[in-house]
Amino acid sequence: MKKIFIVTIGLLLWGGSIFAQGSKPPKTQFMVRGYGHAGLDYIKTADGTDYSFVGAAFSPIFLFKQGKRFMFETELEFELQNNELEIGLEYANLMYVINKYLMIRGGKFLLPFGTFMERLHPAWINRLSSKPLGFGHDGIAPASDIGVELRGAAHIGGTAINYSVYVVNGPRLKDGSIEPDEAGMLNFQNYIDNNNNKFVGARVGYLPLYNSSLELGASFYTGKPGDKGSVYKDVTAFLWAVDFSFVKQISPIKGILDIKAQYNHTQLSDAYYPVGEEGRDSTDLYTFNNLSRAYYAQLSYRPSMASSSILKNIEIIGRYSQLNTPEGSEWESNVNEITIGLNYWITWRQVVKINYAFINSEGGHDAEDGTGKQKSNTLFVHWAIGL
Amino acid sequence: MKKLVLIFTLAISVTAIAITVSSCTAQREVSAQKSGAELWAQNCIRCHNIPSPPAYSDVQWETIGLHMKERANLTSEQIDKIVAFLQSAN
Repeated sequence: MKKIFIVTIGLLLWGGSIFAQGSKPPKTQFMVRGYGHAGLDYIKTADGTDYSFVGAAFSPIFLFKQGKRFMFETELEFELQNNELEIGLEYANLMYVINKYLMIRGGKFLLPFGTFMERLHPAWINRLSSKPLGFGHDGIAPASDIGVELRGAAHIGGTAINYSVYVVNGPRLKDGSIEPDEAGMLNFQNYIDNNNNKFVGARVGYLPLYNSSLELGASFYTGKPGDKGSVYKDVTAFLWAVDFSFVKQISPIKGILDIKAQYNHTQLSDAYYPVGEEGRDSTDLYTFNNLSRAYYAQLSYRPSMASSSILKNIEIIGRYSQLNTPEGSEWESNVNEITIGLNYWITWRQVVKINYAFINSEGGHDAEDGTGKQKSNTLFVHWAIGL
Repeated sequence: MKKLVLIFTLAISVTAIAITVSSCTAQREVSAQKSGAELWAQNCIRCHNIPSPPAYSDVQWETIGLHMKERANLTSEQIDKIVAFLQSAN
């Protein structure tokens, strides 16, 4: 099956090159973009050290444009996991421009919950090799889902506003029946709807400065994640986020200052979950305030106006990130991470990243004793390219 | 029922914003004042480095323009001028 899939991708690439060779631009335009990365990870914990070459990850993006208003876009993920090639579908959606101020898209799309997952996560865009805490596996913020969305942008005087509102299937509440130590978590990788209740979300971004250097955003995402007909069917989830971005080339400091931040807040209504390994057969129940929070703040500086051709391609980065999951839950944890980085930009879309992270964690369902404090340090040396 | 009302209200709100700003003439003045090069320098850098115009052909910049209009939620005026600049400079 995978071979057929890969051959199909090859044919698409070949077909795209034929389109590109034509003298007259066709109404249907096909293009492959994407990104890839590879590198070395060094991880030091109390149990010892581990280092290995990682990556060989490839994420092609296929763009099909028909006329000036319609586009289909999809991103795949090819990655080696446990010596097997894993293929994932990051997004696949249709998009139609209704007018200058509004477009509609449907399918599986990246959710505008804050800005990190929608705009900043690709390896050649993310200034650091890792995601901030709270995103990705066991994260508390959604990344993508299946549904329909209206979005657009406009100028208001010298300022600009962008907006989106969407309806999607929504995540599924983990009730502890399969993994008792994850009871109360949201499974954002649940794309097949588990009930008839859809999640609704929206984001508004405002760029108050004439030069578009500053963007302030606010998002929410809400619905009922419990299985249809289960005792959790009335559990509600309300997530919100605020995001900040300031990027500007500043002459007195002879370079580009880039500040990014996002705060995520995930609150679920109270519910009772089974105690212990018996799962749903357990008669002992417990509850907790199901509130998770995560945030990050990142600052980077690149002396882009330096006279030295080497110096102007160097970038220094610092990021603080924190994640707090519900007190009293089996997955209670408090984690913070300080990451510093030194990047060298080979071209505008190709970078070598050297990052070092200091991680302090307490608890978490992966912790052996459940509550012990742990420290770990990681070194990432990654080479990323945008296509 | 509450969810349907919320969805409907949000959809109406977004449409209302779009209609309201479409009647605002100031946006056209702002758009007219900025060149494609300015918009290229100011907006692309909000997420990634400023792209090099020769990196893609005229046709490819059109496709990327529509993709970026959606991904970065840029206005039509902004993306039209940016694409025109990239096509003229590649």
